[in-house]
Amino acid sequence: MAKMARGFDHLFKLLIIGDSGVGKSSLLIRFSDDTFSGSYITTIGVDFKIRTVDIGGLRVKLQIWDTAGQERFRTITSTYYRGTHGVIVVYDVTNGESFANVRRWLEEIQNNCDVVNKVLVGNKNDDPDRKVVITEDAQRFAKQMDIELFETSAKDNINVDEMFLSITRQVLQHKLRTTSNEQQKDTIHLKNTPGTKRRKCCS
Amino acid sequence: MELVGDTISNGSSSADPPVPAKSTLNIVKQRFKKDEDILYIFESYQLKGPEYVTHLLVLVSSESGGTYAIVSFSCQRTPLSSVNELVIGKVFAIDEQFKLRQDDTSSIAAQQFDLFSGEEGPIKYYYYPSETAKFEEFYATVVNCQALMTAIHLDTVLNFRWLNDYRQIGEVKQELKKRESEYMIYQDTKIYCATWNVNNKQCLNGSHSLRTWLSRSEQPPDIYAIGIQELYVPAKSMLSSTDAAADAQWINNMINSMYPGVEYSILKSYRMMAVFLIVIVRKPLKQQILNVRCNYVTRGIFNALGNKGGVAISLQLNEGNICFVNSHLAAHSGQKAARNQDYQGIVGGMSFEDGRTINDHDHIFWLGDLNYRLKEREPQPGPLDDPQLLLIDDELREEMNNNQCFIGYSEGDIKFQPTYKFEPNTDNYDMRRLPSYCDRILWKGTRIELLEYNSIMEIRQSDHKPVYGVFHVKIKTRDHAKYKRVQEEVLKAVDKRENDNQPQIEVDKTIIDFGRVRFNEPSSSYFNVYNTCPLQVDFSFKEKDIDSICEPYLQIDPREGSLLIDSARSIWLKMHADVRSISGLLRKIRTNDNFDILILHVKNGRDIFITVTGDYQPSCFGLSMETMCRTDRALSDYSQSQIKELMNNNSPHYRVTMPREFFLLIDYLYKQGALQQGAFPSYESRNQLKADFNAVRDWLDTWSQDPFPASVETAAQALLLLLDLPEQALLEPFVENLLNSASKQEAMNYIDLLSPPNRNVFMHLCMFLRVGIESGYYDMHQVAVTFGRILLRSSECSALPNYHSKCCAFMKMFIESDEELMGNGNDSGAGSGTRSTGLHA
Repeated sequence: MAKMARGFDHLFKLLIIGDSGVGKSSLLIRFSDDTFSGSYITTIGVDFKIRTVDIGGLRVKLQIWDTAGQERFRTITSTYYRGTHGVIVVYDVTNGESFANVRRWLEEIQNNCDVVNKVLVGNKNDDPDRKVVITEDAQRFAKQMDIELFETSAKDNINVDEMFLSITRQVLQHKLRTTSNEQQKDTIHLKNTPGTKRRKCCS
Repeated sequence: MELVGDTISNGSSSADPPVPAKSTLNIVKQRFKKDEDILYIFESYQLKGPEYVTHLLVLVSSESGGTYAIVSFSCQRTPLSSVNELVIGKVFAIDEQFKLRQDDTSSIAAQQFDLFSGEEGPIKYYYYPSETAKFEEFYATVVNCQALMTAIHLDTVLNFRWLNDYRQIGEVKQELKKRESEYMIYQDTKIYCATWNVNNKQCLNGSHSLRTWLSRSEQPPDIYAIGIQELYVPAKSMLSSTDAAADAQWINNMINSMYPGVEYSILKSYRMMAVFLIVIVRKPLKQQILNVRCNYVTRGIFNALGNKGGVAISLQLNEGNICFVNSHLAAHSGQKAARNQDYQGIVGGMSFEDGRTINDHDHIFWLGDLNYRLKEREPQPGPLDDPQLLLIDDELREEMNNNQCFIGYSEGDIKFQPTYKFEPNTDNYDMRRLPSYCDRILWKGTRIELLEYNSIMEIRQSDHKPVYGVFHVKIKTRDHAKYKRVQEEVLKAVDKRENDNQPQIEVDKTIIDFGRVRFNEPSSSYFNVYNTCPLQVDFSFKEKDIDSICEPYLQIDPREGSLLIDSARSIWLKMHADVRSISGLLRKIRTNDNFDILILHVKNGRDIFITVTGDYQPSCFGLSMETMCRTDRALSDYSQSQIKELMNNNSPHYRVTMPREFFLLIDYLYKQGALQQGAFPSYESRNQLKADFNAVRDWLDTWSQDPFPASVETAAQALLLLLDLPEQALLEPFVENLLNSASKQEAMNYIDLLSPPNRNVFMHLCMFLRVGIESGYYDMHQVAVTFGRILLRSSECSALPNYHSKCCAFMKMFIESDEELMGNGNDSGAGSGTRSTGLHA
């Protein structure tokens, strides 16, 4: 395929992880296609969708990878963490175990990525009667882990865009910060070297 | 196919086209702009894998660019039914580098040619031999266009900017451009243009001396463009076109003479010799202006001296591109041809940093001393205060009407007297020259309205009178809220298209269950993959570890492939836990419930995980002596999960002193006595298992009471494998120590440290071999070599010098009779018991 001229300023890879059945694919499809399907299809593999968003005038193309959450795929999905700019860790607010497992998923990130921006997402937040992971607990945990929390519903389209935009902003800021740091380093470098060299030549 | 080779007549040309397939032409036309003409459509094709993809090569001419190009579209099907089926591929500008080269390797079956231009190619295209005549017609038309270009534009830059709309600028940009009307609004902008040939006079002092010329408009202008010709430049600055000193006084006076009460700021000033142009804008407007660029073209003597010529400033205000040109064209009556040439020279030669030419702007204002005169005739022209009558004889108007110069430009009504030539400091014409309208302001572009156009009689320094023109221009501007909304919609639509066009395949199974899997018995299974998208899909199995897409006991066929639209194929998996791979399988079983997970990767698409599973029937082969010593029943009575548990059991308690399976084999061989002569084959024989091997496997795994079901050789082979297949060598973790031991006594200390099952098996084996050798059944050396290699197998130690001979020596040391040391071994208790019961039971 011919390489298209870039229609974006930045390209970021995001990864969605979390226990099986917490709604990772639903969140992705809500964000990319603005649709929701009630029927549950297990993701057996790794799927991705793209969506381009405008963040403060910069066009950011997101390639969002949706991973299989099943335990038996844990080792194999960990290979997909490479080159990821941001990770979305999802649990199901109606499933306490999925929240308890968040710690393991965070460890998974730590073991497989260098520096990575992340966000914690409590999905299926649309039925107060079924909610078992209360916001305060999740908030406390998120604060302790220094990670932003979003409670979303892919079904009712609550907070989904906000969550994706937040992680995107985080990744973008991180990138802009690191590149400007590097440039600063470069300038200092450039200023110093020729001077020292010249002195050596003349002496 | 009926659409190919349509010559489309251009306007009212006399060429008689063959019946054109209107539909295709009309569809293709929709992809082009109004001022672009389609001259020819040729249907070619390209090969993409095994597929033929139709490519329509469209030869187009652009009026605005004055150039030709070939735009190549790929289309999913012909005949076309909608413009959406056309996907822009390559764009070939017909420039100096352009070539259409027929390939010599064309055959009867397929004709081919290459296209390339400055930026593209060469790209290969094919056509069917039946299209040969049309290809020749296409070829001739293209060659003709190229010849035309080289003839006309001998030394000017060819303008291909119009092609940028077809280059792969990305769907988003194209889509946004298409919907421009939804978010573009027009910003009212007042532009004040002024020109004056100052006849080398210095600027008059006095801070507001130019106000009568520059502050005439009713409302404050947003942009001033002021051009001066014959600016006084001191000789020392003459050669430096950038010396600001020459202009400083003028600039200063101009700034002070702007519309009062409004703050202005200089955007750019530029001088080429005595031709000077400055653009001054209202201060707040500056931040809406981008890409300010300038350049000049020298004319005059040898077209190079620069006493004549033009300077231009290009700028982008919001979404509108504006160009101001100030020119001083050839002087003197009778020189209109030279003036026309100067105009052509400036239009053709002026280009800005971004490649833009004067004509690439939405709004162009051309001012200056254009020097066109009134035609000389008898009697002399009528009263000088009747412009209507005078203009009948105006050369510029006549030349413009005849398309000799300023094509597409407009000029306002002239209601002022000729601006040249005056006696300085008077309003009297110098009648040695025919009074003429030398100083003019012209414009070209859309949404420009002239408000005022006049000369200034009161300014008398020069032999020219200054002229000014005020314009109302509607500049394209984005409505930010609307733009944001449209952009969001466009991005979503383009993303959706990309997501929908992602290559997709489906599989009918993601779990491949081999059912019962047994050691040394191959089995196979398959699953189907379907192409469920409208594209050809390439798939492959992704490597997980280095160089491996699957575990060694699995084979995949095919490992990669392509699926055409609507096609399917089977992928076969072969499972074979054999001598080479059984330890890998057991290792996998120890930690997993499945045999493997394969990654089926779709190129540019998703990955599908294929889980390979089955029910492994445990067998003694490959199990460690420790594990076997923990069994309490025949291995055939164990399930995969039970053996998994047993393999993960690390307790130091064993049910038996040595594995029953090992004991049975030794016992059988021992009882065969002389029959086992030469039974131990070489190590390599393991790769060629005997046909009755599986019978031995079952006999051992079921603790069978039946007579031994196979030959003595097979029993010997089974014994070798029983010792060799476990992941860890029998004498680990002391192989290195044992090989480096100086004496048997020292080695024995390590043997004593082995786990009881391993130690017992080792001692029992040595005793069995000793008896066999003493009885003359085996050759000591051969046995020592074979068993040394198995019991002391070690990838680390194999690099040691004399590794093989050391292994052999070690084995010999232990096989050889040494009553004293054997007694030492007996102290371990379990060993002594087995020895006595083992061989002599």
